[in-house]
Amino acid sequence: MIRDSSRFQPFSERPVRLVGDQGEWLGAFELDLSDELLVQLYRDLVLARLLDERLVRLQLQGKSSFVAPSSGHEAIQIAIAHAVRPGRDWLFPYYRDYGVASTLGVPLVEIFGQMMGTRADPAKARQMPSHPSSRALNMFTAVSPIAAHVPPAVGAGVAMKLAGRGEVCVTSFGEGATSEGDWHAAMNFAGVQGAPVVFVCENNRYAISVELQKQSGSATIAEKAHAYGMPGYRVDGMDVLACLYLMREVVERARDGFGPALVEATVYRYGAHSSADDDSMYRPAEEVAAWRRRDPLPRYRALLERRELWDAAAEEALRAEANAALSDAALEAEAAGEVPFAWMFDDVYAEMPWHLGEQRAEAEG
Amino acid sequence: MPVMNIVQAVTRTLSSEMERDDSVVVLGEDVGKRGGVFLATQGLFDRFGPDRVIDTPLSEAAIIGAALGMSVHGLRPVAEIQFADYVFHGFDQLVSQVAKTRYRSAGQFTAPMVVRMPAGGGVKGGHHHSQNPETHFAHTAGLQVVYPSTPSDTVGMLRSAVRGEDPVVFLEPKRLYRAVKEDVPDDPDRLVPFGRAAVRRRGDDVVLISYGASMAETARAADALAQQGIESTVIDLRSLMPWDKATVLEHVARVGRCVLVSEAPRTLGFMSEVAAVIAEEILDTLLAPPLRVTGADTPYPYAQDRAYLPGPRRILNGVQKVLDY
Repeated sequence: MIRDSSRFQPFSERPVRLVGDQGEWLGAFELDLSDELLVQLYRDLVLARLLDERLVRLQLQGKSSFVAPSSGHEAIQIAIAHAVRPGRDWLFPYYRDYGVASTLGVPLVEIFGQMMGTRADPAKARQMPSHPSSRALNMFTAVSPIAAHVPPAVGAGVAMKLAGRGEVCVTSFGEGATSEGDWHAAMNFAGVQGAPVVFVCENNRYAISVELQKQSGSATIAEKAHAYGMPGYRVDGMDVLACLYLMREVVERARDGFGPALVEATVYRYGAHSSADDDSMYRPAEEVAAWRRRDPLPRYRALLERRELWDAAAEEALRAEANAALSDAALEAEAAGEVPFAWMFDDVYAEMPWHLGEQRAEAEG
Repeated sequence: MPVMNIVQAVTRTLSSEMERDDSVVVLGEDVGKRGGVFLATQGLFDRFGPDRVIDTPLSEAAIIGAALGMSVHGLRPVAEIQFADYVFHGFDQLVSQVAKTRYRSAGQFTAPMVVRMPAGGGVKGGHHHSQNPETHFAHTAGLQVVYPSTPSDTVGMLRSAVRGEDPVVFLEPKRLYRAVKEDVPDDPDRLVPFGRAAVRRRGDDVVLISYGASMAETARAADALAQQGIESTVIDLRSLMPWDKATVLEHVARVGRCVLVSEAPRTLGFMSEVAAVIAEEILDTLLAPPLRVTGADTPYPYAQDRAYLPGPRRILNGVQKVLDY
């Protein structure tokens, strides 16, 4: 079943890396993406970073009760969104995947609506913040229990295989998820079925405070794929071009009927696990600083500048434009207002059963 | 009208629903070539092939989780859990994912799926082949829970489950699988809607309420009472979430005495809810407090397999108590 990627070797310990620290192209093949796409990737990186910073601020301002920061994860998240066909392929993301959401095209006002729990959220503010979804873009609604979305992603993949329309399902999660039984059950089922599912582990080395060495008995996450009959790849998850080339390959491989793959993207989250976490209790500031030097944004910007596709003026214009869009979206989402109390009783079932009708009447007193 | 038992009712209904609707698929452990350990899916693999009758790896989390993903993508999966006792491997999928999919997406994603599972004791199966887990599911908003006791209801309710828009936990009374046979109407679109109880017998002295496998013992108790000249109304709830409050209250208010029979453990068992609603809403019509006759709050025992069940003797003792009150 395994058809090896043409460009990348599965199960190699060294993560795929295509862009050097100074923005130099390291690939053994020609960089053949259009200038337009190269610039778009950077725009998406910047938007995702600014969005995350805005969401963190929103929580500090008391306008949102919670946030799970995504800064540091942008490159792999943007690559996921660019590797799929929006609205045709499916995504089963986890709660940190805001870079996937913004790049895929989930309207910013919906993202802010979800974070603030207002009427701007198409999901009627049913979930706590940092649980993205989009029906229009086939982005399944994220859940909190770790890895609980991975078996459903495989079920969707099996359904796609039966439908035969060439759809692919991408599911993403942190490295902590790979300790859950559900994750292994899902990987195994996908392997047995040869389902068109790409599993992406955003390995940021910490599941809240527990470091990788205490999480995984294997040296890499990617090698776990071997046990399930699928290729496993390691990629520098902070190198957007490495992520995009690899994701495109595994997604198209799945689309062509060659089955699932696991991608381990090595990243680092610059923020704490969430607004309820203090990361200084378990990781040294020097470590965070060291990973800051590998920030996916400046590294990729250097590549664009070397190719004369970007400059300070473009940077300034982009940031002004993105900040304005974010401000507008935040204001619009807030202005949409609170969801009514009575909505609490809707959508439990297609039709409201008698006992919920009674409870609503009692609550409205 | 064909005569069939409950297992045959399951098989024939799955077959006709798969025939009717290409999006209906069956998945689970041993459901393919083997036809299920109780043969509830016998013949489906040969008829519909491996794409629609899927032998899964041995993982209830994968079965239930995958069924959810399939349903979200447009299929109508019917998952089989080999014994209800094994559903707990997939409990998180049912509780965290399946039950909340419609709610947490405000109806943007839905899970029209069925999880079938043989439940109940009396088969010498010990505590891991005998339990009645319905309370866990009835306590989880978003799930519908049904537990038929006859071939005819099995057909009508399984059709309703497959054709419905919300996830259904479909409990099957495994000790009655082959013990009850009856004529089942031929009409392929005869649905038994959820939330409607069936009144199996009418009498003015006491109301016996039960569901699932315990309906057999409850019916025997009613026969024995009739021989003593005590006439009972027997209500088969059939559907637990939602349950038929109107029918229950109507008959209990009319008669004034009721015994609630369930083989699940007593504390917080489904009959505790029924008793609470009776007490809250029609206390002034009662001639005696509602009385529960149930399984014990012990793990399901092996050696005392039959004694654990609320059999006719215990039901009759209960009836005597409410009559003597």
